[in-house]
Amino acid sequence: MKNNTVLCLALSKLRYNRSRTLLTGIAIMLTTMLLMAIGTVGIAVFDMNRQMFSEMDYHATFTGLTADQVNVLSKHINVEAMSTSEIFADIVNGKMNGVLSYRETVKDGRITDGDDSSDSRELASGHYPEAENEICSSPIFFRRVGAEPVIGGKVTLSFRVNGKGEILTEEFTISGLEPDVEISGEIDDSRLMWAAHVSRALLEKYRADGLYEPSLYATLRVYGEDELAFDEMADRINAVAADIGLDEASVNINRQYLYTVTDPGTEIMVVVAAISLIVILFSALVIYSIYYVGVITDVQEIGKLKALGASGRQIAKLFYWQGAIVSVFAVPVGLLMGFLLPYFLFPLALYAYQNGSAISSYSRDAVEAVIGQIHMFSLPVLLAAVVAALVTVAISLQKPIRLAKKVSPVEAIRYQENSADRKNRKGHHEVKVSTLTLANLTRNKRRTAVTLLTMGLSCVLFICVSAVLSSVSAEDLARRNIPKGDFRISLKYSQHDVEYPENNLDSLVQQAYFNEAFLAELSAIDGVESVERAPGKILSSTDITSAMYEDYYNRLPLSYFTRDDLAELNANLEQGSIDYDRMTANNEIVCTHVYSFEQYGLSLGDTFPLTLHDGSREIPLTVTLTALTQPDSDFSLLIMTEDTWNSLGLACDPTTDIYLYADDKHYDSVKEALLELVAENEHFILYSMDVEMRIGRSSLGLTKNPLYLLLILISVIGFINLINTMITSIVTRRKELGILQALGLSDRQLARMLSGEGLVFTAGTLLISVTLGNLFGYLLFLWAKEQHFMSISRYHYPVWETVGLALVLLIGQTIIALFINRKVKNESLIDRIRNEE
Amino acid sequence: MENHTNIILKTEDLCKYYGVGDNQVKAVDHVNLEIRQGGFVSIIGKSGSGKSTLLHMLGGLDNPTAGKVFIDGENIASFKEEKLSKIRRRKIGFIFQAYNLIPSLNVWENIVLPLGLDGKPLDESFINDIIKTLGLSEKVKNLPNTLSGGQQQRCAIARAIAAKPSIILADEPTGNLDTRTGDETMALLKASAAKYGQTLVVITHNEEVAQMADRTIILADGRILSSGESEVVSDEK
Repeated sequence: MKNNTVLCLALSKLRYNRSRTLLTGIAIMLTTMLLMAIGTVGIAVFDMNRQMFSEMDYHATFTGLTADQVNVLSKHINVEAMSTSEIFADIVNGKMNGVLSYRETVKDGRITDGDDSSDSRELASGHYPEAENEICSSPIFFRRVGAEPVIGGKVTLSFRVNGKGEILTEEFTISGLEPDVEISGEIDDSRLMWAAHVSRALLEKYRADGLYEPSLYATLRVYGEDELAFDEMADRINAVAADIGLDEASVNINRQYLYTVTDPGTEIMVVVAAISLIVILFSALVIYSIYYVGVITDVQEIGKLKALGASGRQIAKLFYWQGAIVSVFAVPVGLLMGFLLPYFLFPLALYAYQNGSAISSYSRDAVEAVIGQIHMFSLPVLLAAVVAALVTVAISLQKPIRLAKKVSPVEAIRYQENSADRKNRKGHHEVKVSTLTLANLTRNKRRTAVTLLTMGLSCVLFICVSAVLSSVSAEDLARRNIPKGDFRISLKYSQHDVEYPENNLDSLVQQAYFNEAFLAELSAIDGVESVERAPGKILSSTDITSAMYEDYYNRLPLSYFTRDDLAELNANLEQGSIDYDRMTANNEIVCTHVYSFEQYGLSLGDTFPLTLHDGSREIPLTVTLTALTQPDSDFSLLIMTEDTWNSLGLACDPTTDIYLYADDKHYDSVKEALLELVAENEHFILYSMDVEMRIGRSSLGLTKNPLYLLLILISVIGFINLINTMITSIVTRRKELGILQALGLSDRQLARMLSGEGLVFTAGTLLISVTLGNLFGYLLFLWAKEQHFMSISRYHYPVWETVGLALVLLIGQTIIALFINRKVKNESLIDRIRNEE
Repeated sequence: MENHTNIILKTEDLCKYYGVGDNQVKAVDHVNLEIRQGGFVSIIGKSGSGKSTLLHMLGGLDNPTAGKVFIDGENIASFKEEKLSKIRRRKIGFIFQAYNLIPSLNVWENIVLPLGLDGKPLDESFINDIIKTLGLSEKVKNLPNTLSGGQQQRCAIARAIAAKPSIILADEPTGNLDTRTGDETMALLKASAAKYGQTLVVITHNEEVAQMADRTIILADGRILSSGESEVVSDEK
């Protein structure tokens, strides 16, 4: 019976404080929605990974294997399954990048590597090549090389075996067709990698002729996946490699798959738990603040209830009932929305990603196969979201309940909001509208502080993560390929092609493709504002043994830096020192690749002889390596000072890249003209900003957009807090506002006073979020850069996010103020003055 | 109504009806009255006789259903809210039974509030004089909830007088006070109004308070039973 009374009371309170009930409901609904959405996305990512990795369930790849090593491997006790593939030849077809490859399962067992060349992949029709002249690939490949994609059709291809030697041409017969793929969007040919499969017989024929030296690439699984931990599996794989005399550098462990199978979902669970905790923290603060404000304004009523004999427990129950009743409605709506949001958005995000990043047909295919089959619903996630939402409500109720329990019946009935401890107020000599605004804000400093804090914190989080996300910039990614201007024309060159030396850089620099006449021709294109040469490059070779040169066919492009580059080089200095004049005086050089430096077998202070090739001469130069740095901009691996470079007296035009600036209006026509120009020279590659930006955006959007969505939702929860504070502060002051109007406060002054109060919250929130947000944001950026999170490199101040936040806060609070003002005015002045709450 | 000069407050067929048809309540029904400047008028009547409604319409707090209210010859019943609020802060001082002080402002701020809203410069010596007269000098920094009922009502009186309005409208100013404090407060109110030449209209249940007035209007069922014209002693006091 007692319970029923409390329940009825709770219901009537909810009905009476309709706006508060609605706001609490929205806050709880959004909290549940976020928790459910985060969990659902977690499940989706996990399931997608599982599906993607089941397409790639190999444990490791070993590269650079000989046939003997493959033979030993296939008999190794720890090897469960293995397949090999080998790149037989590079296709020669204009600017197309493509290979002819062969793949074979050496040791049968469960193994798929998701590669197009996998023979586990179903062909759409026909069979894998068996005869010498047979070939198979996707229809789009055959269309690209100008052949009709039909079984039995003929295709003539030119290729260079092992990527070197003479260009050979053969006619192939199409034996099989893979499922067709579509390449959406305009992707430059230089970005695509094509592949076709040839037969073992063809490889054997060329090997017998001494033209083909196989370099095999094994994809394998080792035993123990179900029993061993990740580290143990990695050790086992490395041990297998060591047994065939392979060093760790040639071993590439499929970490993602191994993590997924040895430690299912832990990583995702940690991320989901961390984000959920943040959501719970913010939501609890907001819901707490709504109830806290509620208690403060209901003190008299609570006092009356206590005077009538309500116990502390009953008061607590009254609050729990209110929370429970609102949750009964809000939680299911939140669950539904929290499931539907990712259910529809997740595949969309994947499609967007897939469409933009169709650089290799593989990623498109794998993604496409998975979309539509992702399993997202999980009962444990749903239950966890319900529990987490209810716990959030319960936690946020604790403090208000304690406060309500403490209310003494006698004091409460005489209670006036600011009566807590204060007797006096210093006050102002004159009372203006602003005095009224401030007096109201300082009346309950704690309430003002709680509101400011909750709003401030959610906005701090917004600005902080925005600082990182705005630094995750598509433009930065694009600028790696086009450091300056809108277009880059790049010279495609070889380093050390013995058969076709005319394609080597030292020959090309003699051609002076980027001569004054060519630059003038470019400048003459309507809309081109300026043309700029990038620092030139020439090839260098050395007698010393270092992987640095071996990796680059023993010829490494060498370039220079100017005094203007010093700041950037020094800012990213890892070892040694860069002093322009000292370096010039001593022929010192800098290495700009920190990550591979260890493998080069070099150390700072090493002095070694170089031979520089400018196409007409071989210039000897002894250099000393004195610094190691990792600049954000694109530099050659080895750089010297500009003065040293100039002293070489090069008899060539070493320009390999030029940058073009076009005015925005003529961008498209300039691009068209450049495409035509570039098509005329097989050595030219055109990079254009729009394509680079599109690729950058789509590869970042997958992570960036959901994070923004999450942030916006968290901010919405924070904003609800502002709405609540403003509504409560006005509704509970109806009488006071009425008196002020009776004393002559005009409508305009009232509106000014109310929006002034909102403005203080807005300004305070902005101040907190801009100062703390940017400070934490910068720290988070530094951390993200250290972790190489999403290729982040340059700090971008989140200008638009800050402006957007300020605008939303300003407009939002103005709308709330107007809305409430109108609501208040609907009640007659006399009713408001008489109103006794 | 023989003397039409110095009429500060006047109503013509003033009506306030609530509801319609059989449920219609005539709170104020065709009230015609004139109040001269500087007078002290009390309005008495039983609960529900329409006293408060009349006072609210006189002060521009409530809109009449029909009829006119003239303050200084201007019909305020036709005024828009913005102009009404100006009239309220310049010409009228309100005193309520429940004091209605602003809880977040101290005594001084409450008193100068109508002046501040009007953007008028403070006449400090005048305000200090009122505060001294009303015995609030020690309490100017206090917040309202720390004052006794009598002190709060004195503060409300000071607030009503501070802007030097022509008319002070008081709704049961002693209703929440004990007899002694009530008498003291009323005496102070009358003396202050007289001192600053303000017209005082007081609603009361209290016979003694009514006795203090120059003229007493008796209201019943929204109509004037007696306009008390015969009891007018003097316009000038």
